[in-house]
Amino acid sequence: MSFGPHLFLALLEGTVTSFVLALMALGLSLVFGVMRIVNVAHGEFYMLGAVLAWVCANAVGTPVAGFAAALVVAPLAVGALAFATDRWILRRIEYHPEGTIVATIGLLYVLQQAVLMLYGPDARPVTPPVYFIVQFPWFGYSGYKLVVAAVSALVLAATWLVVTRTRLGLYMRAAQQDLEMAQAFGVPARRVYGLVFALGAMLAAVAGVLIVPIEQAHYLMGLDPLLLSFIVVIIGGLGSLRGTLVAAFVVGLSDGIVSVFFSPTLAKIIATLLVAAVLVVRPGGLFGEERA
Amino acid sequence: MSAGRKVLALHLGVLAVLFVLQFALPAYHHTNVARIMVLAAYAIGYNILLGYTGLMSLGHAMFFAAGMYGAGLPVYYFGVGAPAAFGIGLASGLALAFVFGLMALRTAGPSFLIVSMMFGQAFFLATLYFNDFTLGDQGFIVSDKLAPLRLGGASLGFHEPAVKYNLALAIFSACLMAALALRLSAVGRVLIGIRENEERTRLLGYDSFRYKLVALAVSGTFSAAAGAAYALLFSYVGSTFAAILFSIYPLLWVLLGGVGTILGPLLGTALMFYLVDTVSGFTSSYLLFVGAALIALILWFPQGILGTVRTRWLPWLP
Amino acid sequence: MAALAPILATQFLSKHFGGLTAVDAVSLEVVQGEIRAIIGPNGAGKTTLVGMICGRHMPSSGRIVYEGRDITRLRPWERLALGIVYTFQVTSIFKGLSCYENVALPAQRGLMRGFAARLVPGEAAVAGRVHTALEAVGLGGFEDQRAEALAYGHQRLLEIAMALAAEPRLLILDEPTQGLAEGEIAALCELVRRIAGQATVLIIEHNMQVVLELAQRVTVMDAGAILAEGTPAEVERHPEVQRAYLGR
Repeated sequence: MSFGPHLFLALLEGTVTSFVLALMALGLSLVFGVMRIVNVAHGEFYMLGAVLAWVCANAVGTPVAGFAAALVVAPLAVGALAFATDRWILRRIEYHPEGTIVATIGLLYVLQQAVLMLYGPDARPVTPPVYFIVQFPWFGYSGYKLVVAAVSALVLAATWLVVTRTRLGLYMRAAQQDLEMAQAFGVPARRVYGLVFALGAMLAAVAGVLIVPIEQAHYLMGLDPLLLSFIVVIIGGLGSLRGTLVAAFVVGLSDGIVSVFFSPTLAKIIATLLVAAVLVVRPGGLFGEERA
Repeated sequence: MSAGRKVLALHLGVLAVLFVLQFALPAYHHTNVARIMVLAAYAIGYNILLGYTGLMSLGHAMFFAAGMYGAGLPVYYFGVGAPAAFGIGLASGLALAFVFGLMALRTAGPSFLIVSMMFGQAFFLATLYFNDFTLGDQGFIVSDKLAPLRLGGASLGFHEPAVKYNLALAIFSACLMAALALRLSAVGRVLIGIRENEERTRLLGYDSFRYKLVALAVSGTFSAAAGAAYALLFSYVGSTFAAILFSIYPLLWVLLGGVGTILGPLLGTALMFYLVDTVSGFTSSYLLFVGAALIALILWFPQGILGTVRTRWLPWLP
Repeated sequence: MAALAPILATQFLSKHFGGLTAVDAVSLEVVQGEIRAIIGPNGAGKTTLVGMICGRHMPSSGRIVYEGRDITRLRPWERLALGIVYTFQVTSIFKGLSCYENVALPAQRGLMRGFAARLVPGEAAVAGRVHTALEAVGLGGFEDQRAEALAYGHQRLLEIAMALAAEPRLLILDEPTQGLAEGEIAALCELVRRIAGQATVLIIEHNMQVVLELAQRVTVMDAGAILAEGTPAEVERHPEVQRAYLGR
């Protein structure tokens, strides 16, 4: 395959990655924007989504039913876990920035090891709910991957609607702007925090469910997406939703291109250097709030 | 006894105890304590940044590994002697910390943490990507290429337990006393000011960026010293020491021992070393224990052992 | 009377935050050795104005000239080195540290010349300066107390001790009497008069008694701009001021 089609393939791969990455990074960014904390266990919510999808696929008969069940069960279960974490741990330490980091690191290892003990060290595949090939002149491309992109786009749009059109979204944006003011106007900050943390986790879980027929479910799969999400929110600017989305595509596409032409490892290294370059020029990220 | 004398007596006393301990320990614990001392030097380095400057990093393994590879690779490929190798390891850590600091310190709190984590991971991946050169995947041994140390007339082989122990003690002592000196100095006062209230400190006349950079450079150098020592004393150099888990360990050790205390890192490292050792006897999922420990510490015991001691009983403890 | 050169002059100094103009082309001159009060309703831009003078904010436009040099682009610590010292409106001491350590941080700066001195400036010299500053504000016996254990009034005094230890030539006090009891206010006024012997003082105040007692000249601000300037008596009589601020 010559360069042109190879590039097209890379762009397709990159686009799919970008959409899924956007979901994950959005979850991280929402949580930081509203609660001002960084959730280091975010990748494990993604991993849990994938593992739960495998569980559903094996429990239910057909791949389609399994997938549909997973899309409902996984986000709800992971969301509940996140809500509990907020209630029992994060609230207790009053969302102290460093304390939250330590607590979520602890949660990362607890979740990872729990899955290791219950699910095992193997990477297990899940059959995609739909299987078809989209035939381009130069190669065939997995139709499911395009479905993933489409569903991600839908979820992103739905989240956008929640943030801009619902009361919860209003509370979230108020809390992000000025928490004290919001509370003075009757915004139930604690409950909002719990729901926002759950929402962020659910987005990661959905990303995991979508990705698992493409990659396999493995207890260590959360780390790479976590780091990529971090790269995205740093470049886009912590707390800026628009920046997150734009950066997700910048990072996703470049990751796709470098991965296809060179190697995934190199792609990660280059992404990190990208961040360095952005930081030198704009310490607050492309759309960020901080100034040097 | 004045506070200053008490402090000095305590710290020198700890070093004296460590020195004497080597004659009382059975062989298994002998190497363990040597290892603990080197790892405690790493933790001391980490604490300078977290405990005294208030900056949390999740990428410190890259400094440790810079020291480790900086010392190990010259020995492996060129048979360089231990002192020179150690020097190269130190220089590598210092250079990396300085360059990283120039870039990463321009960002505020949470971004710094994330950037440190990413760079740490990139470093880890680089040791794997350039595997032909670094042999990161499998790791390599330096002991057969390492010439014994010539001191006075004596020849000190690195395989001898006494040499390992005392060199480890030497490195640890240097880091401990240097950290104490920094803490009690004017620079140390500024770092604590930055930790407590950075804006106020800037308005009281201090360029906080410059001081944070110094703290990071010192922290990275101590970590690299530990890494270089680890390579030379315990012989194995591999990618695992650059992985994220190895960046999280010093956080755990420092938290347990008492963040922002000079002796806390030693206590935390020693305790955790033996706790993990014990737990690994029961289960291979000892990381679950690590995770639970972190959560428990932050919920109920955030000051750690010596931090609590200092608040309740000994306010003069640095 | 011969005109004294101003120690501080701002020239059309402005600060915009997004669409909001907090400070609007303020040109202000302060003479060396005077005690100047800045008064005005909340949101008038007083704290933002002095924030630009001490370096907390970069101006959107305009210049600041101090002791004859343009300091508009200087960073906060560079301005401190020139003697511009600011005390916060909301007490900004190091709560977890002792009073000694709080004052030692600004006190040691003047002694940190050269590499070796940065590490070990001679704790005795630092201690001397700390004692002097704490005695000056009346907190002589409080050295080992944790700052957060102090009563509010004493915390305010600690802030001023920290400012004194920084060797101010232009001292900016942002609402120093807020939250203080009667007796404490009187003591503070006495302290400010003593400080004014060695430094120029810029004081933001809401307490008109204090302003009338201390200030030689008063600048009135409203909605980001200067409304009036003059002696306290002149300003009090000014019709604009009476309407906008004193509510008559």
